[in-house]
Amino acid sequence: MRHDLCSFRASVTVQPADLDLTPLVQMREATRVFGEVTAADHVSLDVSEGTILGLIGPSGSGKTTLIRMLTGTVAPSSGEVRVLGEDPRRFRRETRERIGYLPQDFLLYRDLTAAENVSFVAALFGMFWPSRRRRTREVLELVQLWDARRRLARDMSGGMRRRLALACALVHDPAVLFLDEPTAGIDPLLRQMVWEELRRLRDGGRTLLVTTQYVGEAQHCDTVALLSDGQLIALDHPDRLVRRALGGDLLEVVTKRPIDPRPVRDLRGIQRVEQRSPERLRIVAEDGSAATPLIVDTITAHGGEVATINERRPTLDEVFALLVEDHRARNGDPEPAAP
Amino acid sequence: MKSLGRTSAMVRKELRELARRPGAILSLILGPLVVMALFGAGFTGERNTFRAIVVVPAGSELPQDVEYYRQMAGRLVIIADVVPDVSTARARLGHDDIRLLVITPKDIRKHLEAGEQATLEVDWNELDPLEDMAASSAANEVGHALNTFIIKGAAAEGLRFVATAAGQPNPSLRPEVVAEPVRTAGRNLAPVQTGVVAYFGPAVFALILQHLGITLTALSLVRERTSGAMEIFRVAPIRPLELLVAKYVAYAFLSAIIGATVMVLMVRVLGVPFAGPVPDVAVVVALLTVASLGLGLFISLVADTERQAVQLAMLVLLGSVFFSGFVLPVDEFRLPVQALASLLPVTHGIALLQQLMLRGLIVDGWHVVALGVIAAVLFIASAWQIRHVMRDL
Repeated sequence: MRHDLCSFRASVTVQPADLDLTPLVQMREATRVFGEVTAADHVSLDVSEGTILGLIGPSGSGKTTLIRMLTGTVAPSSGEVRVLGEDPRRFRRETRERIGYLPQDFLLYRDLTAAENVSFVAALFGMFWPSRRRRTREVLELVQLWDARRRLARDMSGGMRRRLALACALVHDPAVLFLDEPTAGIDPLLRQMVWEELRRLRDGGRTLLVTTQYVGEAQHCDTVALLSDGQLIALDHPDRLVRRALGGDLLEVVTKRPIDPRPVRDLRGIQRVEQRSPERLRIVAEDGSAATPLIVDTITAHGGEVATINERRPTLDEVFALLVEDHRARNGDPEPAAP
Repeated sequence: MKSLGRTSAMVRKELRELARRPGAILSLILGPLVVMALFGAGFTGERNTFRAIVVVPAGSELPQDVEYYRQMAGRLVIIADVVPDVSTARARLGHDDIRLLVITPKDIRKHLEAGEQATLEVDWNELDPLEDMAASSAANEVGHALNTFIIKGAAAEGLRFVATAAGQPNPSLRPEVVAEPVRTAGRNLAPVQTGVVAYFGPAVFALILQHLGITLTALSLVRERTSGAMEIFRVAPIRPLELLVAKYVAYAFLSAIIGATVMVLMVRVLGVPFAGPVPDVAVVVALLTVASLGLGLFISLVADTERQAVQLAMLVLLGSVFFSGFVLPVDEFRLPVQALASLLPVTHGIALLQQLMLRGLIVDGWHVVALGVIAAVLFIASAWQIRHVMRDL
């Protein structure tokens, strides 16, 4: 049987053993309604200290609304949100200094240089001159903009500006970071470096909530929250999520002649059979190794001949598309997912 | 300490952004001066004269000579021609060839002998209500001049008759004294006799200061919202009041520099008088600046888009030009409009700066109180609104 993904409400977090187990970020049945649109629908999740939670979902799935509820820039219509033990709407000043935020549409100050932009945000978060200067250099070096520190933001490319915005979010070394698409518009090599830095921050005990449009980046997260239409449809470690989504191993079968898939469906331990073409089957089996000889025998017994049979690990894109489509199908919305 | 650091960082940020646009700053300083210089050089302050035709019907005893009527016409009327036919003259009035049509009575002597007033018809064709009033004055001036001319002629004739009868003329009695026994000798007791630029200088300066304050600030918070910076401010430990104070300080500093530069250039280059004590002028300028910045910031907080902010700023400018006393005296408006005008900082700024710079003292002290109240109310309203904007969840 497949998992009922729509009723998924459990929270799974990776928790280093030497850290406090109290979640730094908590959401309980958090809902936000804008007019007739429910942007976040009874979302519950916990994020423990020193972890990276990736928020992934199609456009308009509610990722940004979730981040904004967690930063206190949007109030939940119902439910409870707590960050660092406080209601984000009533953060104390000291608490605000421990939070880093990169909004999705932060365009920076175009008439300020890279260094001035970073230094300004550092001052906003209460940093004084010596440490501000040191950290400005550190974060600009991190995002590879130190050489462009005197360049005006208006003269930078879109990718450079995004990196600069990320530097602004990191400059005051916050305990909790909310990053809304930090790698949007950045080339793959630099994205990799950004994720390395995010993991380094995580290893240093920082807690990060990151939305991304690149599903493949989910592999960098300790936990992935998959959102669709404002609902949290999956929350787990990326590897476990793949297996949970499929309910087993994925087998690709190619035959020399067209075959009838029905006999394979009746086999024990077979979760799903999808005929991709007359000679090609995609099969989800509880145990791929055990099912392989049974499948070959069954096809041969029904007059077919197996050319190849391989166990394949699906991409995260495939898994998330499958989960979202499944969720939408259950809600009566057949629109294909575009994570 | 951190609060001071945050506020000063915000002030530095604002000033740096403005400093990176030197063209805009230069136009803010030089623009008003160029406008004032053009105004002073181009505006003569003299009213347009009225080109007129005099109709003397055929058979009238009045002369047909143009020079005769040119001598009696007032300074506003220039007699272009004397014609006998009314319809031709009316056609020329209809075609804007002339602006006044003076139709003399045909049998003026008959009216006088009958003890009746003769009627001098004067026609004009003006859409502009101000020109209509001016034409009416010109018509009265023509009538007055004609009456004086007739009385003077009659008096001269009478005096000649008396002199002939008495055998010697009376030297103390002259026809012009009989015609106009009283003449006017007016004096302006104002401390300075101003030209156009000098008179309008303080008003233009006040209007510039208000428009500068509004223009600088009206877009500032709208931009913070549209650039996503407001999202950062909402999360950062900066208080709404700190943000507001930083905006006030940054733009007040800039307004002070621009205002002082414009004032010096205005006085030194354009020769606008500066009679008032410097501290008093400084206080008025400071109050006007703070009130204007408050108005701009309030616009910035209530406007959703840059376009809306610009429209509101232009609306305030338009209202200021019409109702502040810049062009038309405030007390010529009906009371409700006067009340509305008193809500504009520039209304009080113009009154106070004209009094201080041209007379050297404040005549109407209540303007200072009004300006202070406007500045305070706008600051409080902006503080309330910025809290609403930053914490509106």
